[in-house]
Amino acid sequence: MTDSVYHIGTQDLPLTNRVNQIPEKAVEEYYTSGHRTCQGCESALIMRLMAKAAGPRTIILGSTGCMYVANTTYYSTPWVVPWMHTQLGSAGSAATGTAAALRALMRKGKMKEEPINVIAFCGDGGGVDMGVSSISAALMHTQYNLLIICYDNESYANTDIQISGSSPWGANTTFTPPGKKIRIMYKNWKKNIAALYAVGHTKCNYVATGDASYPADLIDKVRKGLKEPGPAFIHTFDPCPKGWDYDPFYSHKLGELAVESGLFPLWEMTNGELTYTGVSARHVYGGRSRKPVREYLETQGRFHHFIEEDYQYFQSEVEKMWTDWAMPGVIPFKLGADPSKKK
Amino acid sequence: MGIVSYEVIYRGIFQRQLAQKISRTLVLAAVKEGKHGISFGRYSDSPERNGIPAKQFGYITDTPEELEEIAAQYEPKQVNVSICVDDTMCKGIESWAWTGLQPINEVTAVGGTLIVTSNNSAQDLVKHIHRRDTPYNISIIEGGASFAGLWVYKDDGTDARCLGAALKACPDICSMASLEAAIRENVGGDAHVDLAKASYEDARSDEVKPGEGNSEAPFTFELLGWDSMRPGVVIDGVGGHNGYGDSKDGYVPGRNEVFKKWSTRSMRPVVQFDKCTKCTLCYETVFEDRDSQYEMWNSDKDGFGKYVEDKLAKGKVENRHPITGLAGAFSGLGLEGGHNDNTFSTKSLKEL
Repeated sequence: MTDSVYHIGTQDLPLTNRVNQIPEKAVEEYYTSGHRTCQGCESALIMRLMAKAAGPRTIILGSTGCMYVANTTYYSTPWVVPWMHTQLGSAGSAATGTAAALRALMRKGKMKEEPINVIAFCGDGGGVDMGVSSISAALMHTQYNLLIICYDNESYANTDIQISGSSPWGANTTFTPPGKKIRIMYKNWKKNIAALYAVGHTKCNYVATGDASYPADLIDKVRKGLKEPGPAFIHTFDPCPKGWDYDPFYSHKLGELAVESGLFPLWEMTNGELTYTGVSARHVYGGRSRKPVREYLETQGRFHHFIEEDYQYFQSEVEKMWTDWAMPGVIPFKLGADPSKKK
Repeated sequence: MGIVSYEVIYRGIFQRQLAQKISRTLVLAAVKEGKHGISFGRYSDSPERNGIPAKQFGYITDTPEELEEIAAQYEPKQVNVSICVDDTMCKGIESWAWTGLQPINEVTAVGGTLIVTSNNSAQDLVKHIHRRDTPYNISIIEGGASFAGLWVYKDDGTDARCLGAALKACPDICSMASLEAAIRENVGGDAHVDLAKASYEDARSDEVKPGEGNSEAPFTFELLGWDSMRPGVVIDGVGGHNGYGDSKDGYVPGRNEVFKKWSTRSMRPVVQFDKCTKCTLCYETVFEDRDSQYEMWNSDKDGFGKYVEDKLAKGKVENRHPITGLAGAFSGLGLEGGHNDNTFSTKSLKEL
């Protein structure tokens, strides 16, 4: 019996579909009090919904970031399920190693045979910048069941808001403060990380984007990711009141606005088929139009230095995502014309 | 005078730029007179979170050797001036690392000055500040707490006024002329200089005698050392575990029974507004656009009383103590008294 054929399946977790079904289908909390995140922290909400969706038979691995530092301050922790810290760039390798170790222990009869969820989370520093190679490797090892969640607050928020590969165009960060001569210091567009993992790992069964402002959607995506055999990846969008500089009251609203303005489309790729979900589905398949992105930008202090042309440029880039891309927010290019027919 | 030290106590992120401005400008002013200095944030406060109490420190010395000597310590044990830019922290502060409650005047030197921006009088504030055995002075800068964001600075002159008052409290820092030059370079223009000067003229300090103030002993708990932690710093679930028990699902992890187990947002607090101080820290009183208990209580006090009684009669209200389970466990007090009697049977950390 070799590793590649040894298979114990995955847990059968019911989907919630609607918010009002959460009390029935995902009721017990596995991420409770005991953390010291800021008020209005959406990343903490992602952790809570993730733990709730995964249930008690779960091991969670956290790479360095806000959700490691603020959640495990000197002998206090909100985690009810087993949790372990891992290094900043190694969410993927920790997840693969844990899944492989569980399988070995079960094969050798040292553990009861049962499907145990393995979830590794990383921030955008750990998942978009440093951890890309380890996550890529984890997604290539299709014989292990695991889920990697990248909670993306668009900066290195733990160490005081330095730019990451995921920061948006023009944002004020510690590394890109707007000055009197140069207003826009950061001119890169946000890295399209979920699509990168989806497109680049052709045997990976599940990749999705999520948002804590749509909890039922997020719980279902976590459950689907755990249910699908093989590795899975979820990218979530988390407004951060500290680094984005807004009243914590607006966290939920900003999460909604990012999706409604088309800046962060919600989608899931299951077994080679990509579908948009929630509000984004209505944007793509019809039935609802996108909001202007301006309201989203104006709510945040990090875009405080924007002038009219910056708003227009930002909006035009979002428009391009929806009109010029082969798949809105996912595939940033189109199929070109046949070169043999070119003159 | 060899060494001057000071601290700025502020709310994380919201007042960070303000604290940095005050702390840096004092050093830069002293450097203009050929002195030496350094301004730095407290290591354990970084990374800061929104609203947590945090500190900036500064040293000013006559010679570089003195500066090297004093800056080698982790943070000052005693400061000549403490500047607190939010008076709600006078009741004591606990930053996000587990340090226990620190009185606001903990490191203020004997005869040093505590400067507070407040709309209250010194007398009122001293009632909340923990008492100590040595005298110190308190000086009030009239005005509320100046809050801003990480990237947006609220330029309301609080910085200049604090600088003026700090100079009055400790004239050894530098001369007014140097401070004026530093303010022009780092803070603002004429208006800020005028504010600093006015604040310097008006600042009045009252002596707080030994034994005056809040008589409560600050909340403390026992920290585990490296030799009392388990290998790998493993933390057991509070409440123990049932092993494999009768469960078919395998190992049953323990969970603190005092903590909420079920969907927390399925419940809302019922507030007894007759006893409530309306501090607005709890979300209930600041609701604007939803069915608010506060509005109901405001418009119909008897009706609201009946509503609460009905809830109680149906057994739908669970009384909870404001101190969380873990804090109780850490304090060594255990969790007796306070929590719901039906749900609690948690051991203290020592017993675990």
